[in-house]
Amino acid sequence: MATERSLDRLEPGERGVILRLDGDHGAMRRLMELGLVPGTRVEVLRRAPLGDPIELRLRDVHLSLRRSEAAFIHVEDV
Amino acid sequence: MSRTSEEAGRPALTLADPPPVVTTEGSSARPRRIAILGNPNAGKSTLFNQLTGLRQKVGNYPGVTVEKKTGTCEMPTGRRVEVVDLPGTYSLHPHSPDEVIVRDVLLGLQPGTPPPDLIVFVVDATHLSRHLYLALQVIDIGRPVILALNMMDAAEAQGLKIDERALEQQLGVPVVGISAARGTGLGHLRRLMDRDVEPSTQKFRRWPPHLERVLHHLESRLPRHPDLPERGRLDLALALLLDDGEDDALARSAPPEVLDDLGIVRRRLDAVSPGWRADEVEGRYEAIHGVLERAAIPAEVRRDPVRERVDRVLTHRVWGVVIFVLLMGAVFQSVFSWAAPAMDAIDALVKNFGVLVEGVMPAGPVRSLIVDGIIAGVGTTLIFLPQIAILFFFICVLEDSGYMARAAFIMDRLMGKVGLSGRAFIPLLSSFACAIPGIMATRTIDNRRDRITTIMIAPFMSCSARLPVYALLIGAFIPNRWIGFVTLPALTLFSMYLLGIGAAIAVAWVLKRSVLKGGRPLYVMELPPYRMPSPRSVALAVRDRSLLFLRKAGTVILAVSMVLWFLASYPRGGREVDALKTRVTAAEQSGDTATRDALSSQLAGVSLRNSFAGRIGRFIEPAIEPLGFDWRIGIGLITSFAAREVMVSTMATVFNLGSGDDDIVSLRQTLRDAVDPDTGLHAYSPLIGVSLMVFFVLACQCMSTVAVVKRETNSWRWALFMVVMMNVLAWLASFAVFQGGRLMGFA
Repeated sequence: MATERSLDRLEPGERGVILRLDGDHGAMRRLMELGLVPGTRVEVLRRAPLGDPIELRLRDVHLSLRRSEAAFIHVEDV
Repeated sequence: MSRTSEEAGRPALTLADPPPVVTTEGSSARPRRIAILGNPNAGKSTLFNQLTGLRQKVGNYPGVTVEKKTGTCEMPTGRRVEVVDLPGTYSLHPHSPDEVIVRDVLLGLQPGTPPPDLIVFVVDATHLSRHLYLALQVIDIGRPVILALNMMDAAEAQGLKIDERALEQQLGVPVVGISAARGTGLGHLRRLMDRDVEPSTQKFRRWPPHLERVLHHLESRLPRHPDLPERGRLDLALALLLDDGEDDALARSAPPEVLDDLGIVRRRLDAVSPGWRADEVEGRYEAIHGVLERAAIPAEVRRDPVRERVDRVLTHRVWGVVIFVLLMGAVFQSVFSWAAPAMDAIDALVKNFGVLVEGVMPAGPVRSLIVDGIIAGVGTTLIFLPQIAILFFFICVLEDSGYMARAAFIMDRLMGKVGLSGRAFIPLLSSFACAIPGIMATRTIDNRRDRITTIMIAPFMSCSARLPVYALLIGAFIPNRWIGFVTLPALTLFSMYLLGIGAAIAVAWVLKRSVLKGGRPLYVMELPPYRMPSPRSVALAVRDRSLLFLRKAGTVILAVSMVLWFLASYPRGGREVDALKTRVTAAEQSGDTATRDALSSQLAGVSLRNSFAGRIGRFIEPAIEPLGFDWRIGIGLITSFAAREVMVSTMATVFNLGSGDDDIVSLRQTLRDAVDPDTGLHAYSPLIGVSLMVFFVLACQCMSTVAVVKRETNSWRWALFMVVMMNVLAWLASFAVFQGGRLMGFA
C-alpha cells in the first residue's frame, strides 16, 4: 500500500503523485491551472534558506509554494 | 474601500475613450488589431518590442492600474496593423486585476478595447504543456489564433524536438517557431499575421455531463453578442458561473434574471459534485496530454543541468543569502551613488535655465512665478528621474533574468511575518533611495491588498531627501562623542533609519489586520528558467517608467509648486520690506556687494515671515508647540511639502542666510545660537532637534509621493489616508519624544 502524505511533509528530493487538493475553491482551481492536477508527478526540490517556501518541480514547471499551501495537496509516494 | 471610487470613476473614463469603430465599408477602414497573449515569462513583451520597436505607447486600462501597451507594426506588404500587448496571464478565469482585463478583452467585454481580429499566442516551447492550458482556452472561444512557439533555440539546446506541422494539425491553428530574443522566425510570423486566419475547428473542452448541461442551459439564456463568437458564449457562461465578483463588466454582460439564478445553479452543482469548479481544468489538461501525445512531443522535459547548478548556489542556505544581500547592497548603492552626478547635473541645468529665463524676462510677479515657482518646483521633481531610471534598469534586469523570483523565494518567509510576500522586498528597499520609484515598483505584487499595504509603508523608509535634513539637525545638535565603536551622530542617523523601518512594520501589521484584511491570498509563484535579458526590453522599460513618472506626477507637482510659491511670495510689500528694498538698491548703486548680499538675505527672510506661509507657520504654532517647534520651523514644515530637503533652504531663508552648500555650516551654528525673541533664551535644544528628526522620519511631506500614490492606487482616498496616517503618527511620536524628554530632564 502506497502511503498518502500532504506535500509539505515531503523532504527535499522526495517525489509523489498528486491524489487530490483540499482548501478553498479559488485557490484549488488556480493551483490546478498551474499544473498541479491529480495524477501529476511532483518533486520537492528544496526549501528556501529560512525553511519556507518550498520549490516544486512538475512536468516542465518549477513552482514555489508556501508550506501552508502545500499542506492542501495530497500526494501518494512513488 | 477603493472599489466604490473605481466604479464611480468608470463612466467618466469610459466616455473619454473613443467609441467603438463602426464601419460600413468593411474592415479596410480601420487598421487590423492584433493582440499578443501568453503566460507570464513566455517572452510576450520581447516579441511585442521586436514587432513594434519604438512605435508604442503605454497607458492604463480605465479604472485600474493595469498597463495597456499598444503599438503599430508594419507588415511585409506595407500594411500597418495595431498591436496590443495583453498582460501575462495563466488562465481565462482570473485571479488578479490583470487577468480580469484579459478575460474581458477576449470575451469582448472590455470598454474601450474592442476584441482583437487576430491573437498571436506566445508559448515558451520548453514549457509547452503548461502554456498550452491558456492557449486551448483561447482557441476554444473561437477567435483566430496563431501559435508562436517562442524560445525554440532553448528547446533545441535541451534536445527537445517539436514537429510544428504535427502540432498545427492537432490544434487547427497556424504554428510558427520563433526566438523573440534573437529575432529568428519573425519574418514568417509577420507574413502569417498579414493573412486572414480562420479560427480552429477543433474543440478542447472536456467536462462531465452535469456541468455540460448547466453550461448549455446558461448559454441559451444569454443574449447574442456582436463582439463574441458563437462558440465563445459557452466560455462566457462558465466565466459567469466561476466569477463571484459583484459589479464588473462580466456581470453587466448578462441579464439580471440570469445573474439572480447563478447562486442557485452553483448550489445545485455543489450538491452533485463539490469539485465542479476544477472540472474544466482537469479536462483541459487531459486534452493537452492528448495533443502532445499525438504530436509526439514529450510532456516531461529533461532537467536543465545549468539551471540546477545555478539554483543550487543562488538559493543555497548560506551562499544564496550572501549573494542576495550583496546584490541588494550593490543595487541600493548604485541608485544612490550613480544617480548623484546626474542629479547634480539636472540641478545645475534647472538653476541655469532659471537664470536664463530671469535674464530675458522683465522682473515682476510673472517672472517670479515661472522661475521660483514652476522651474524650481518642477526642478525638484526632475531630480528624482535618475534614481527612477537606474532603479528600473536593475529591476528590469533582475526580473527578466529570472533572479527576481529567486529573491522573492528567499525573502518570502521574512516578509510573511508582517503579512506581505517576498515580492514586497525590492520596492521597500528602493524606497530608501526614494519612495517614488519604490511605489512604482509595487506593480510586480499581484495581490491588491499586499500591494496597497506595501505602498502605504514605503514612504516610512528614510529616503535620500531626508538625509540633508538629518545632516543639518545632527550637525547642529548632536555632540560628536564616541560611544563604544561608533560616534553619537552615526548612531543617531542609524536610529532614524531603524525608527522608519519599525513604523513600517507596525503599520503593515495593523493594516493587514484591519482595513486590508482579507481571505488568505495564494502565494504560488513560478520560478522561471534563467534567461539573458534583452537590452532593448530593458531600455524600453526604463523609458516607459521615466515617462510615466514625468507625465503623471508632473501635473500635480506643477500645481502644488505654484500654490507653494504663492504662499511663500504673497502678500508682497509692507513697510519693512519696502525700506529694505530701498537699502538694497542703494547698496547696489554704490557697488557695495557685501552689504547688498546681506541686505538681500534679510529681505528674503522678512518677506517670507510676512508671507502667507509665514502667517500659516504662526497660525499652526500652537499645534506644533507641544512638539517643541516654533513658527519658524512651522514655515519649514509647510515648504518642505515641495520636497523634504527644501526644509534646509527654507530655514536658511528664515534665518536670513544664503542657501548655498557652504552655508549649511553657518546654518548649523545659527540654529544652535537662535534666540527665542520672547524669552531671550536659546530657542532650540538637542531635544527639539531629535523631536524634529523623528517628525521627518514619520511625516508625509512629499507632494511627489502623494501624487504617485494617487496614481498607483487609482484613488485619492488612499493618498489622503496616507497623508493623515503618517502625519498623525509623526505628531504623536514627536510629542512623546519632546514631552517625555522634558519629563526626563533633557531641556
